[in-house]
Amino acid sequence: MKLQTTFNLGITFIFIVLAISIAALSIQYVNTNTIREARNHVTIYTRAAWEIHNSQIAQIQAALEVMAYSDSLGELLEHPEDEPLRRAVMADLEGARQELGMDILNVLSSDGAVILRSRYPYNHGDNFYNDPLVRHVMVEGRSISGNVIFSQERLDVEGEGLLERVLAIAQEPRGMFIGAAVPVIRDGEMIGILEMGTLLNGAVEEVDRIRDAVFASETYAEKPLGTVTIFMGDLRISTNVLDNQGRRAVGTRASQEVAEQVLQAGEPWTGRAYVVDTWYLSQYEPIRDPDGEIIGMFYVGELEQKYLDIRQQAVVLYLAVVLSGMLVAFLIFYFLTRGVVRPILQLSVATQQLSQGDLTYRVDIHRDDELGDLAVSFNAMADQLEMQRHQIEEDQRRLEDLNSELRTTNRNYMEMLGFVSHELKNPLSSAILSLYTVKDGYLGKITDVQERSLASVARSLEYFQDMVKNYLDLSRLEKGELKARKHDIDLRAQVIEPVLDGLRKGLEDKGMSVVNNVVEGLRITADGTLIRIVYDNLLSNAIKYGKEGGRVELDTRRDEGAITLRVYNEGPGIPASEIPKLFEKFSRLEHPEYIREKGTGLGLFICREIVEEHGGKIWVDSEEGQWVRFSFTLPNN
Amino acid sequence: MSNSQVRIVVIDDDVQLVESVTTLLESVGYEVFSAYQAEKGFDLAKEKRPDLILLDVMFAGPPGPDGVEISRRIKNDPVLADTPVVMLSGVKKVLELGYEVEPDDTFMPVAAFVDKPVKPDVLLSTIGDILNS
Repeated sequence: MKLQTTFNLGITFIFIVLAISIAALSIQYVNTNTIREARNHVTIYTRAAWEIHNSQIAQIQAALEVMAYSDSLGELLEHPEDEPLRRAVMADLEGARQELGMDILNVLSSDGAVILRSRYPYNHGDNFYNDPLVRHVMVEGRSISGNVIFSQERLDVEGEGLLERVLAIAQEPRGMFIGAAVPVIRDGEMIGILEMGTLLNGAVEEVDRIRDAVFASETYAEKPLGTVTIFMGDLRISTNVLDNQGRRAVGTRASQEVAEQVLQAGEPWTGRAYVVDTWYLSQYEPIRDPDGEIIGMFYVGELEQKYLDIRQQAVVLYLAVVLSGMLVAFLIFYFLTRGVVRPILQLSVATQQLSQGDLTYRVDIHRDDELGDLAVSFNAMADQLEMQRHQIEEDQRRLEDLNSELRTTNRNYMEMLGFVSHELKNPLSSAILSLYTVKDGYLGKITDVQERSLASVARSLEYFQDMVKNYLDLSRLEKGELKARKHDIDLRAQVIEPVLDGLRKGLEDKGMSVVNNVVEGLRITADGTLIRIVYDNLLSNAIKYGKEGGRVELDTRRDEGAITLRVYNEGPGIPASEIPKLFEKFSRLEHPEYIREKGTGLGLFICREIVEEHGGKIWVDSEEGQWVRFSFTLPNN
Repeated sequence: MSNSQVRIVVIDDDVQLVESVTTLLESVGYEVFSAYQAEKGFDLAKEKRPDLILLDVMFAGPPGPDGVEISRRIKNDPVLADTPVVMLSGVKKVLELGYEVEPDDTFMPVAAFVDKPVKPDVLLSTIGDILNS
């Protein structure tokens, strides 16, 4: 993978992890915050709504207290049988009731018997011991107000219409009232009780007033931002929540969870509530009657959507800020790393170029940091390498020139050597012939002393002849003329026998016997002329250094793909210490047995060159004082 | 046939060698004639009609026929056709012939090769064998 890609993947991974973490944290933070905020809101709204509700109730009480001072009311309570007075008071009270929008306004005696009903004047004489408001006034002699539940009987006696209103909502024949009761006091003595109230079941004025006061009839997404509901027990009896048909959603019941917490445990409940078709953040408070009994619930809800939207906006804003911050950071990182990666890339390319032999390649990086130092060092190294290569090339050229000079010199030398040797051949030939003509007695008998002397001359001439032959071979070898031209030849007939023919005289002179174990007709692939030189040298050595009257043995062995040719002779052998230098040019053995017979030091060297030219190798085995065996291989045979 | 009735022509450009050979051959009774150039040797042979010709292969000096060429001329000459020729020198080595070429009568019509340097008994026995066959 490319360095830049690694960096990019790495930083992208880090950023993704960071982004997810920050996003999760911020969403969590926004969530917690908005929810807390929303709950605070609902709590405040509920408190405000409850205050408004209570002030409404207080207003009823205040109005009643004013009415309680009326002179005609006092007179009526003093003289309940005064029918004209009674009519007049009733007319006054009925006017006030209607003006205040109340459902009931009753005058009672101090012991709680109904003296007058403004709404339903034909019905009186009953008493309200069960009415908590009235009972409190009777017992304590003080004004009181609050929410109360009226039973079906009470609704019946209060006049037509009330029970119907209650039953229109649900089959539960009770009604919740807000109202007040005040004592009518004359001369410090309670002479009667005034009670006024209004039925909440199915009523809208109270809840709408509260909502308008708290939420200022705001809407959000075409829904009212806040709603207010009053429950009798768990039954919705008054609300400004509308159902699917646009009607007030009364008659339904609160969830069991809410009812249990608020109605039974008496604790407020705050949370999300699904009302008709929308979620509201809501709070339920218990409604108690003057006796402290829980008789219903007061609900205030605020549309959740508003908070969801606020939360969503906050989250979007958070994410936008985080992501754009990260993008900027990523870009900065990218350009910073690119600044680092590009020189590294350049150095990498340059190193490749260098390794492929382009020593002129340089990097163009100018920086004040370590990479800059690296680039400078790299270029310096490349300079050094280039200089050294120039130096090496220069040296090589000089060496080649020198070599070529040497080769020329050597060739000239060898040519001269060859020429001289060749020129020596003819005089040598006639000298040998003449010498032997005399020595062998063709020109008359000679004495023993003369013959010994002539034999010494003959040995010198033969050495001379060997030398000429070897120098000629060496000269051709060094000039590269001894190239093996391989043919299929008969080893015994074409190589060994002609050589033995030429050496027969020498063999006879030393009384040596030859055992030729080379199979007749054995064919090899080799340059016959060259292999003859090898045999000539090896057999000449055997004669020269072998034991007088000793045995010379020739044989071959076949190995995988190669043939090994061997020449064995009895004799003093070769000490192991002398063997390594045996095949070197101009090597001479320092053994006393060999010093008498002078050699040119070239024969075995020429043999090795010829065998190696054929792709084979040559070696010697010997047991000192016993025998010597030269072996050489010819591969591909 | 005694040696004194035998005529031998020696053709070689090496004067010393011709003298050595002549001395040896005359010592055993042969009648020897010699020439130092190939052309002259051929003419000499035609004139003397020898029983055997000793012929060198390589001739130095001005360009002219070599021993191989002369051996062919002898073979094709009606007078000399049956005269045996002994080649002086290792022919194969000198001519750099590979082993695929066997000198035959067409290429080099000779009776024997004698490698230089040669010992007296070898030369004499070679000549003697040819003359007696």
